[in-house]
Amino acid sequence: MPTAGRKSLTVALAGNANVGKSVVFNYLTGLHQHIGNWPGKTVEKAEGTLYFKGHTIDILDLPGIYSLSAFSIEERISREYIAIQKPDIVINIVDASALERNLFFTLQLLELETPMIVALNQVDVAEGKGISINVPELQKSLGVPVTPTIATRGTGLDKLLDKAVRIVKSKEKAKPARYGREIEEKIRRVTKLVEKIPIKYPPRWVAIKLLEGDEEIRGIVGGIDPKIVSATEKHARDLERIHGERCSTIITSERYNIANKISRGSQRITPPKGPTLTEKLDAVTTHPVLGYPVLVGVIFLTLLAVFTVGGHLSGFFEDVMEPVRGAFGGGAGELIGEGLLGGLIAGIAIVLPFILPFYLILTVLEDSGYLPRAAFIADSLMHKMGIHGKAFIPFILGYGCNVPACLGCRIMETERERTIAAFVVTLVPCAAVTVVVFGLVGAYVGIHWALSLYLLNLAMIFILGRVAFKVLPGEPMGLIMEMPPYRKPHARSVLKETWMRLKDFIYIAFPLIIIGSVVLTGLKVGGLLGPIGSAMSPVTVGWLGLPAIAGVLLIFGVLRKELTLVMLATLMGTANFATVLTPTQMIVFAIVVMYYIPCIATIAALVKELGWKKAAYITVFEIAFALLLGGIAFRLLTLV
Amino acid sequence: MITESTEEYLEAIYNLRERGDAATTTSVARELKVAPASVTQMLKKLAKRGYLKYTPYRGVTLTPKGEKTGKKILRKHRVMEKFLSNLGLPKSRLHRNACELEHHIPDDLERAIYQRVEGERPLPPGVPSNVVPLTSVLDGQKCVVSFIGGGWGASQRLADLGLTPRTEIKVVKSALFRGPLMVSVRGTTLAIGRGVAAKVFVKAE
Ligand SMILES: Nc1nc2c(ncn2[C@@H]2O[C@H](COP(=O)(O)OP(=O)(O)OP(=O)(O)O)[C@@H](O)[C@H]2O)c(=O)[nH]1
Ligand SMILES: [Mg+2]
Repeated sequence: MPTAGRKSLTVALAGNANVGKSVVFNYLTGLHQHIGNWPGKTVEKAEGTLYFKGHTIDILDLPGIYSLSAFSIEERISREYIAIQKPDIVINIVDASALERNLFFTLQLLELETPMIVALNQVDVAEGKGISINVPELQKSLGVPVTPTIATRGTGLDKLLDKAVRIVKSKEKAKPARYGREIEEKIRRVTKLVEKIPIKYPPRWVAIKLLEGDEEIRGIVGGIDPKIVSATEKHARDLERIHGERCSTIITSERYNIANKISRGSQRITPPKGPTLTEKLDAVTTHPVLGYPVLVGVIFLTLLAVFTVGGHLSGFFEDVMEPVRGAFGGGAGELIGEGLLGGLIAGIAIVLPFILPFYLILTVLEDSGYLPRAAFIADSLMHKMGIHGKAFIPFILGYGCNVPACLGCRIMETERERTIAAFVVTLVPCAAVTVVVFGLVGAYVGIHWALSLYLLNLAMIFILGRVAFKVLPGEPMGLIMEMPPYRKPHARSVLKETWMRLKDFIYIAFPLIIIGSVVLTGLKVGGLLGPIGSAMSPVTVGWLGLPAIAGVLLIFGVLRKELTLVMLATLMGTANFATVLTPTQMIVFAIVVMYYIPCIATIAALVKELGWKKAAYITVFEIAFALLLGGIAFRLLTLV
Repeated sequence: MITESTEEYLEAIYNLRERGDAATTTSVARELKVAPASVTQMLKKLAKRGYLKYTPYRGVTLTPKGEKTGKKILRKHRVMEKFLSNLGLPKSRLHRNACELEHHIPDDLERAIYQRVEGERPLPPGVPSNVVPLTSVLDGQKCVVSFIGGGWGASQRLADLGLTPRTEIKVVKSALFRGPLMVSVRGTTLAIGRGVAAKVFVKAE
């Protein structure tokens, strides 16, 4: 590092949640961080590299935070990173449409005394709210450079980077803002004490954190010199006597007063005539009564649209692909023709048609800002499962893919709530399951049956969520969430985001589909399918009433759930499933696929978030539950 | 004369309701950490005295009389918690000691302490204090943050999001089924769960 490091710079992007950090990151690095219009998408810091005017620049996208108190893991990680790892410069991304709240965080960054620059982002949104900002004035009040940007259009970002590099060269550091006289006096005294001890954080910042009663900093300083901690406590007590409030509240209020003064001094607001887009939409989507039918409508329209569009696309692809399959046949040709090509054709004809519209709609939903509204509406329902409304966001994301949804459960504050939320999320039928439900039940039994399975699924999730709550009891944390304004989804970003997701999907799923198909055909040619199938037949045939081959399919489905259907098509050499399964079998099969075992990638995500033990419990439970439900469904369906 | 345990029960039931949870024998028992059987007995007794309506296996609703007492005690509890926390007592003791004190603080003394905690000059005697939990502010109404119940993690988060004392905020709307409140603060909009909002004390305008 040191030799190459001469020209290499590190730049950290920091700021409140949902201000556009990841948009800036993606623009600069060409990478693909998750973007959407709800707070808390980036949960882990991401790194990327770019080359700019002869410099190698490492860029870091940090999770969004509102403060540098150690309230959440993200806050602790961010402050440690900025204060101790010391990036060459911090780019503070600020939402111009909520200046005061954003500056509250900027003031805290200034206290860390690193070189920094402010990107005044979302100026277009601010304009829409009738806010115009006087940049030179703001720059003067903050004492650090400010550059207006519109990240989604790339406006101002090159200039931002250019300025940032220049600041690094000039080695200018930010200077913290001053508080009121009494507080400043106390800070000065404590700073004097802190300056005498070796500590990696800036002394003034440590003094402020000590006065605020920050547990972590108190621990560190107390370990070096406990007298400083007790002296600070006395000062804090003095302040509390004067103000009649806790010292942390006094300092927070004071900081907000400064933020308020700066923002009032540098912005002019002419409230737009008539209600804004957000107000108009909120009148319906978070209406105390209408909000609920809207939520149900959104979910069902999504499913219906996916089914309709998917069905048409599927038929179209099949017609196009069918002649290709016929070209191979017999002997060694079978392995290639049936395995390789069959898998590929099935992947294109069965899987893509449903995945594509699904991803598109989910991306639009995510970008519009509807998800936080859904969380708001669903809060009281989620409380019945011992978690709060924010969990509804990963829940909806789970319909796309369970993996990011599991990781997204980190927006829940406690371990208990993360566990329940992640468990609930793994029960959500992802896009791959949708392929099976729509491609099989929807197409051959009827769309109302497919939709009923989704309804049943919602009911089961609710019941199992309540069971999980009973297993892990506790007072649910209350909901505290920012509601971002609605945004008209930007056509190009939506298409790009959908394409990126689709590409990820194709890169991961298609090799597996093809390899799986070849292995399966190999098993068939080798005569091994029979033995495997009959080994599992007590469960598959006896209990579930499925053909023996289902056992093999379910094993493949652990890799990816859509493989169950793709493999079936490969084996049968046709995508006309009516010839191999009865309607009852289709429904039972879809139910088992819906609930049994999270796929391998999801299990990995669970292990990462919750540890081995909980991941194993969830997996085993879901297998048992799927078999139970499938068996019951089989018996009920044969009754009627 | 109301007994201490009557007050405890009414407070617990009021608190459950304010948080948006149903008050049932089980939930009250959990709240007070006593056996459900003794809760059933006590609830019957309180029903007889006209503090609440009690249907076995269904739940409890407070009468206006019961609600008044429950609300008052809960308020005293929170004021005392805040007061003790200002005195610098460790978090672990706040709840316990406030639980003891809430039954012994006369109304006027509580008001005086509240005003001390608020850092304000005392109001003339007899003027009812107009501080209420955020949950009782009507939709569309503006109010000013007075204080946030002390001694719990989320209070710092709320302050970080801009809910500091003396800030003007507005309740935009509240969801049904005891759902969250939508509040506008410093040019942003927050969703705040009912349980959290119950601990935010405001002065209605
Ligand atoms: N109109 C407009 N929208 C923007 C701008 N910058 C970002 N956005 C939108 O704001 C939303 C949030 O952007 P992200 O980059 O995901 O935000 P983030 O800061 O990374 O958020 P977290 O990771 O959740 O902390 C997305 O919907 C973006 O399209 C801008 O300058 N103008
Ligand atoms: Mg991000």
